[in-house]
Amino acid sequence: MDLNKISLSGLKKSLQKKEFSASDLVKTYLARIKKIDPKIKAFITITDQEALSSAQKLDQKIKSGAKLGSLAGAVMSLKDIYLTKGIRTTAASQVLKDYVPPYSSTVYQRLIDQDAILIGKTNTDPFAFGASTQNSGFFTTHNPWDLNLVPGGSSGGSAASLSARLCTFSLGTDTGGSIRQPASFCGLSGLKPTYGRNSRYGITAMASSFDCPGAFATSVADLAQISQVMAGHDPLDATSSKNPVPSYPDKLASLQLKGLKIGLPRQYFSATLDPDIKSLVLASAQKLKDQGAILIDISLPSTDLGIAVYYILVPSEISANMARYDGIRFGSSAKDSKDLLSYYTETRGKYMEAELKRRILIGTYALSAGYYDAYYTKAAQVRTLIKNEFASAFQKVDVILAPVSPTPPWPVDQKTNDPLSMYLADVYTCPVNVAGLPALALPCGFTAKNLPVGFQLIANYWQEEKLFSLGHQYQLLTDYHLKIPNL
Amino acid sequence: MFPIIGLEVHLELKTKSKMFCACSASHFHVPPNTHTCPVCLGLPGALPVPNQKALNYCVKIGLALGCTVQKNSFFERKNYFYPDLPKGYQISQYQRPLTIKGKFNSVRINRVHMEEDTAKSIHQDNVTLIDFNRSGVPLVEIVSEPDITSASQAKQYLLDLQQLIRYLGVSDADIEKGSMRCEPTVNLKIDGRPTALVEIKNIASLSAVESAINYEITRQTQNPDFSKNKTTRGWDADKQATFLQRDKEGSSDYRYFPEPDIPPLEFTDQQIKAIASTIPELPAQKIKRYQSYQLSDDDASLLAQDKNLADLFDATIERQNSPDFIKGTANLINGSVRNYLNDFPTKPLKTTPQNLTLAVNASLSGQISWTTAKENIYQSAKTGEDVMTLIKKKGQFQNSDQAELETIAKKVIADNPKAVGDYQKNPNSIGFLVGQVMIATKGSANPPLVQKILKQFLK
Repeated sequence: MDLNKISLSGLKKSLQKKEFSASDLVKTYLARIKKIDPKIKAFITITDQEALSSAQKLDQKIKSGAKLGSLAGAVMSLKDIYLTKGIRTTAASQVLKDYVPPYSSTVYQRLIDQDAILIGKTNTDPFAFGASTQNSGFFTTHNPWDLNLVPGGSSGGSAASLSARLCTFSLGTDTGGSIRQPASFCGLSGLKPTYGRNSRYGITAMASSFDCPGAFATSVADLAQISQVMAGHDPLDATSSKNPVPSYPDKLASLQLKGLKIGLPRQYFSATLDPDIKSLVLASAQKLKDQGAILIDISLPSTDLGIAVYYILVPSEISANMARYDGIRFGSSAKDSKDLLSYYTETRGKYMEAELKRRILIGTYALSAGYYDAYYTKAAQVRTLIKNEFASAFQKVDVILAPVSPTPPWPVDQKTNDPLSMYLADVYTCPVNVAGLPALALPCGFTAKNLPVGFQLIANYWQEEKLFSLGHQYQLLTDYHLKIPNL
Repeated sequence: MFPIIGLEVHLELKTKSKMFCACSASHFHVPPNTHTCPVCLGLPGALPVPNQKALNYCVKIGLALGCTVQKNSFFERKNYFYPDLPKGYQISQYQRPLTIKGKFNSVRINRVHMEEDTAKSIHQDNVTLIDFNRSGVPLVEIVSEPDITSASQAKQYLLDLQQLIRYLGVSDADIEKGSMRCEPTVNLKIDGRPTALVEIKNIASLSAVESAINYEITRQTQNPDFSKNKTTRGWDADKQATFLQRDKEGSSDYRYFPEPDIPPLEFTDQQIKAIASTIPELPAQKIKRYQSYQLSDDDASLLAQDKNLADLFDATIERQNSPDFIKGTANLINGSVRNYLNDFPTKPLKTTPQNLTLAVNASLSGQISWTTAKENIYQSAKTGEDVMTLIKKKGQFQNSDQAELETIAKKVIADNPKAVGDYQKNPNSIGFLVGQVMIATKGSANPPLVQKILKQFLK
């Protein structure tokens, strides 16, 4: 088998035709991880024993002729903030370095119920706070396309593991761009679904009103199939939607490119955008125009406020969401503290990474008496403004096309001491999270230094199927997504 | 000088499951940490899902207290660190409570809102143990305006509130067991100047509410503090005194903000109407209705005090409602049934409206005496036995055989000329002759009938 050419649909057929067994597949992946991961450092935990035993069970199932799940044999890696019952889940933080959860996240459970196999838990910025994996409490992951560069983040370990073909697909989360930006940096397709489309239950929370679990795949067709399994209401998440989930894989060809109105928001193509990226993204728009789509110049005037709103509201929610990490019921904790207050300050002081403390401080400040109205309330008002701007844009256009990241990936030893410039990496991605819209990132070419570049397609609420169909048709016209890093 | 008193009352709701997870909400005498899950333990990744029944109960309480329901409200996070608060915040309501602006016992109600209980800290030896069974139990907070002016008024407010809540069937409202908790705020106005506000905590009984408030009134009168420092004082039941717990102002900023894990709450007119329709007749209305049956004020309020007894009364007088029947039923319930419940407070009440009807009718018709009725209703309340079977078994029916009683009456008149003479002079002295008939029948004769026969013969 050639791991570089595996697709989900092909995989299930190969297993059913007994071209190779699930156990062979897992062993091949494990061998590749052993060889390549030391260079990339995508994984925090490699679940080799669990993967082999799941593969054996699947092989038994195949042998007995039982009906196979829709993801049979797909080997997946999970961002290490998805809780996996009985398997260490660290959130890439010293706070949870030995934490073994007693329950599993809903989305992970749905995937293994469809016979996907977990091969490992991947690196991220701690609790997903970051855009590069450089904040990880353990180590930084390297970009498979250039080992001196970051893979992006926060879901950088997931993106790197899939880009290096150490798995068939991977899960990340997107709170401000954490799927789309690493997908763009690593040459992958990644979906940030509509807020509420996928259950957040069992995933360590960053900012509850922003967090969106989603997947990375090597093609939009695969992504549609995985997203199909992940999506849908979860009674354990009050914010998950009861809207019905259409059959994404069946609708890949449904969208008519001819006459499709694609909006190009001028604020996303400003001077801060890297010129290489700008020309690649505009070329992708041209390609769709060649197929009959209509390109329309649109304006989203509050775009530059997105980051400001994001870095008020997200830390506010973080400051409360991180309060449970007090070392009392689970997680790392201080020893021999003289009283309760010292126990709290020593535990949180010692084990929380700098970025956690930074965001807790910002959020605590923004919510404090006397500041609440000036920060939180104001930011919530601007959030509504940004939503309204997108809403009026979608009265004129069917989808919005935009760049993902203003820059290509940066060296692993840069930006760590400059949190503000790190925050600006999210400038084109976080307005989508502020509004709660779905967006698909997919590859559209390479820079002069052979680094992958992605663009994003943004649709109105609950229109993931439109994104998949447009993205899939784009991938039928291009081969950027088929390129693989030379490792 | 006059006192200004407000009351914050917390009630644990009687729902099956907790406020935000499926764990059982019962926690009294339950082995520690057995009713827990990732949600109420605040484990990573766990999310709250609100209990609709609890929300409906909160609205029900609000409506019963004359509050307005806010059709669009939302939860907020109240942030503070304490080991019994697993998430590091309590899910509560702040800017937009479910219901606002009511009135109860002429005290204005500021708000009735929904929140969750904390876990229970147990301090023993040198360690603190935490029982998370209570963590996330639905809690309703009722905040009054500071309209109360005395400790006894505060106590009456709480007693009436407790009765109302039990009528609504939404909480046990048991202060000793902690399902009803109250925190008074007390200050004084002396010559137009207000003293600093004091909130009193750790009050574990109704009488303690009264004592604590009175203690504070005296303390603030003797040492008035006219600053703006809001303080919290604890009630020490042993010393019968309050003590300073913390200076509230400045030290606590709860950083409330809307709970992003739970969508805003919505109640439609239809839903509110449906909840309102589940509110039973409340004690005050009931007392008025009972008075209209010509029951005494005491009988009426005694009946209304306990909803179970009032329900039994109403079910009994449903088919038969002559004033005598109503009065007889009220007497048996306020007497025998209440006596039984006082004697056996934890045992079930087994008698039925049918039994009461039979006993009252038998007494009114003279088949049995009221004493017999009382004795057997008490027994029926205990065992559920049929009263008429009991009376039959015990041979307690009265003799109402006209011919037989006439024969005996004639003999008694013949044997007691002196008493007959007395009667001619003073008709009130007939009691002696009636007594003689009763003795002759070994007490089985129906006294009113005997009297009637004697009077006829002596005309």
